[in-house]
Amino acid sequence: MVPQASPPNEWPLTRLRSSLLPWRGMRVTLITELTQPVRYVTQLTMVVTQLALTYWLWRALYAGVRMSAGLDVTQATSYALLGVLYLQFRSVDRWSNGDTMVQLMFEGTIAYWFIRPVSPRRWYLIRMCGDLAYGAVWALVAYLACRAAGAIAGPPSLAAGGAALLTLALGLVITYYLQVVVDLMCFWSTVNDSAVVAVQFASSLLSGAFAPLWFFPGWFQRANEFLPFQSTLNVPLSLYVGRLPVSALPGQLAVQAAWCASLALFTWWLWRRAAARVTVLGG
Amino acid sequence: MTPMPATSAERWLRRFAREWRTALRITAISLRARTQYRGDFIAALAMGLAWQTSIFVFATVILTRFPGLGGWTSGGVLLIVAIRMLSHGGMVLVFNSLIMIPYIVQQGALDGYLIRPMPVYRQILLYTFPLNALGDSFSALLLFAFAITRVHLAWTPLMALYLVAAVIGGVLLEAAIQTLVSTLAFRFTIPIAVFMWFDRMIATFGNYPFSILPLAARAFLTYLLPVAFVAYLPAAVLTGRVASTGVPEWLAYASPAVGPLLYILARYAWYRALRHYESVGG
Repeated sequence: MVPQASPPNEWPLTRLRSSLLPWRGMRVTLITELTQPVRYVTQLTMVVTQLALTYWLWRALYAGVRMSAGLDVTQATSYALLGVLYLQFRSVDRWSNGDTMVQLMFEGTIAYWFIRPVSPRRWYLIRMCGDLAYGAVWALVAYLACRAAGAIAGPPSLAAGGAALLTLALGLVITYYLQVVVDLMCFWSTVNDSAVVAVQFASSLLSGAFAPLWFFPGWFQRANEFLPFQSTLNVPLSLYVGRLPVSALPGQLAVQAAWCASLALFTWWLWRRAAARVTVLGG
Repeated sequence: MTPMPATSAERWLRRFAREWRTALRITAISLRARTQYRGDFIAALAMGLAWQTSIFVFATVILTRFPGLGGWTSGGVLLIVAIRMLSHGGMVLVFNSLIMIPYIVQQGALDGYLIRPMPVYRQILLYTFPLNALGDSFSALLLFAFAITRVHLAWTPLMALYLVAAVIGGVLLEAAIQTLVSTLAFRFTIPIAVFMWFDRMIATFGNYPFSILPLAARAFLTYLLPVAFVAYLPAAVLTGRVASTGVPEWLAYASPAVGPLLYILARYAWYRALRHYESVGG
């Protein structure tokens, strides 16, 4: 009789363990950053300076005004500072390490993504989760420091805080899918540098990360409602500072869910098409 | 009759013209190469236009929502925005490739640059054609023209000359900052975000009269990260608001000279840093 390697009741556990194994890839971001201290030291300097100047700028703008665009000085400053945190920590620079998708395409190493036991779609998700987790830890530390310093005010209520967190989570899912779309473009266009920068810029400006969207002209805000960007950051921040009431949550969640579903479907289709187009230089 | 031997000045001029011809030829080839990727070409143009326009839109919105910024008229603030944007357009057009240095170093391409018969710095500037600069510069020119019409100043030839000097000074000041940052890439793997950060700092804070900021912020943006010299101080001179800037009068008037001076220092530091460059693998 041939002995069994493991009892049958352990199979599901083994399967679960092996399915979780690829998620160790999330550590790549942390290890990369920690081996190059200049990266996080410069980022820390950048964040502190940007936060201090943004705080002073918005306080100065409100010096002679009590209320503008429906926001008082505390709300506007909190919104702008949270926007700075989002800008600084929403992604990790992979370009300097030659680790962006377009660089992998150029070098031909993208082929490995398609021959590993983990699907390229899953591997991409794992790496992005690693980036997000790394950025989230930094953002949380910075947020708590700003709260302690009194630069960022707390949400008006527990419900508003919860609503902001919920919509932020969905906003990050939308941001993830938008990034997938841009990265997968290089399977068709060979070069996508400008598209990457354009989407980064559009998502920063139209999401409210550069400046609160409430200050932009009416036509700008109305046009923005038809795009996915404003629901990634403007909605959570507006709920957080109390510019949007918690009663607006169901409607905003519905919009976000619709964007998530349609982008998920679109990216699923894109991944399938991309797999059929993998070409390593030389054919 | 035998031809007269060329003087050293003539030889220098000939060499200068030859080097410019080479640089322009490389630029034309780079532009042609970039236009081969049509989607990328259009995206880059649109990106430059959208970026500059959005900054302008936001600046005008801020002006209408917060009137009388530090006692400045809306025309005066628009002049600050206009000078800054035009300086930035010029900087991107010539010096944008500096942000590629981390990648060039990592790929080992710099080793090749060191043995070619052209200064390394110039080779890096010619690395690729900055497509986004076309959109940036075009929109900056349009918005600059618009802003100039809104500033009700009695222009004299001297003021016009000062304005041109201020824009050139702004270009060189931004270039000096990016050049200094790029020296880090010879020793460390620096993220591209550092270059973008300086870009964003100037774009975010360079559009306002600094007199509205507290003393610490003003000092930081004047003496540590000299954003004030790009547009704020030249605009203060042109609009007669030097007294409100809080910097010595001579320094405010000499602000267009700060960019060239810093650029010379940055170039010196860059070549000093290059001496310590070790290629990938030592």
